[in-house]
Amino acid sequence: MSTRPRSYNTEGVILRRRNLGEADSIFTVFSPTEGKFDAIARAVRKPKSRMRGHLEPLTRSQMHLAHGRNLDVFTQAETIAAYLAVRDDLDRLTLAIYCCELVDRFTADRAAQSELYDLLVDLLEALDAGASPTVARYFELRVLANTGYEIRLSHCAICDGPIAEEDTLFSVASGGLVCGGCRSRGGSGRLISVRAIKAMRFAANATMGQFAGLRLEAELEAELQRVLGEAIRSVLERETNSGRYVEALAVPLRPPVHESPGDVQ
Amino acid sequence: MAEAPSTPEPIQRLIEAFHRLPGIGPKSAQRLAYHILRTSEQEALALTEAVMDVKRRIRLCSVCLNITEADPCAYCSDDRRDKAVVCVVEQPLDVLAIERSGGYKGQYHVLHGILNPIDGVGPEDIHVRELVVRLQAGEIQEVIMATNPSLEGEATAMYIQRLLSPAGVRVTRLARGLPSGADLEYTDDVTLARALEGRREV
Ligand SMILES: [Zn+2]
Ligand SMILES: [Zn+2]
Repeated sequence: MSTRPRSYNTEGVILRRRNLGEADSIFTVFSPTEGKFDAIARAVRKPKSRMRGHLEPLTRSQMHLAHGRNLDVFTQAETIAAYLAVRDDLDRLTLAIYCCELVDRFTADRAAQSELYDLLVDLLEALDAGASPTVARYFELRVLANTGYEIRLSHCAICDGPIAEEDTLFSVASGGLVCGGCRSRGGSGRLISVRAIKAMRFAANATMGQFAGLRLEAELEAELQRVLGEAIRSVLERETNSGRYVEALAVPLRPPVHESPGDVQ
Repeated sequence: MAEAPSTPEPIQRLIEAFHRLPGIGPKSAQRLAYHILRTSEQEALALTEAVMDVKRRIRLCSVCLNITEADPCAYCSDDRRDKAVVCVVEQPLDVLAIERSGGYKGQYHVLHGILNPIDGVGPEDIHVRELVVRLQAGEIQEVIMATNPSLEGEATAMYIQRLLSPAGVRVTRLARGLPSGADLEYTDDVTLARALEGRREV
């Protein structure tokens, strides 16, 4: 017989929701002590539910759970922070959802990662306080580092040799920058600018607030977004759903296409 | 689903068909299938016909995308309804809910879904483009966003607002706040904040 308590308290950020049956929902929670886990909230979609709203995605809540046969069951939930300003701004909202998806995809169930949790809370707070979307780049870099996929920026990812101060090869497959010597011996990847390298090195040692204070030119921001997006795709071996969405928001919707047999795509 | 190997294949198939319906778990699917097995052939036939009738006779209105037998639908072809206002909802059931309230006499637009970034449901997956095209005709002056006050509903409303803002139409949002019967003590911060924003003279 197990002697574990029948219920427990934890705080956490709600990463996502899936509806179950008529009125229940399953929430994915990221907790500093429990790690990521799924739990059921019974009747939470009924208007009179006491937990409704305290378990919305992107909400940081204090929760009480009872151990269940398969999934644990929420018995109480109370909001710690709802990040209202994030919810009122489409771009920040989309970035926050994207970062939650990264946490979801980069973590395994029930593995506590308190540093990653602090990073997520820092991000939500920064976005709520009006930080520029650049904080997402900091977040991407730190998620990689925190989950064992740190990008090698100080030395060559292949031979550990020094990196010259010039546009440098970035190899996702090798896990970072590749020196001129290794590059000439057949390293492949994309060239990235000295500015992008400096920005990433800065992010590796700065706080989120310090990084958010940088005023990055649009071109540099776009370069960082490409490089980090590539690194993330290579680790996950797929696109993120919400990353696709961030791009969709930037492109105006085309009018409906009426396809006729003679149309050529 | 782990079924006993002795379950005859037709029953197994029916169970699986029920299980694919929203809100039906494996146990309910099994109960329904065995219930069908016990009903008369007539009753079973009536059910199949009802299902097929829905599939054959109901379609989407070419204007508002609501479900309808006649195209355009009854709302779109009713001249007494205001043509300058369109209310955007997630699904056909929401149209019925708003009609029941009796307080709205304008047009509708049914999205048949909601933006859900984390599950990969984007603007291309719901009927947003058709709304943009409707607006190009110039008759519509106000768009009322009546998506649910969930994270996804808010994201959808903000996205459509951004999409339509160059067109110069007025985009409004249903007031969000406390559901009647709600208990202040247990109300979350977002709902309370929204309710305060939407407060009125008493
Ligand atoms: Zn090297
Ligand atoms: Zn219609």
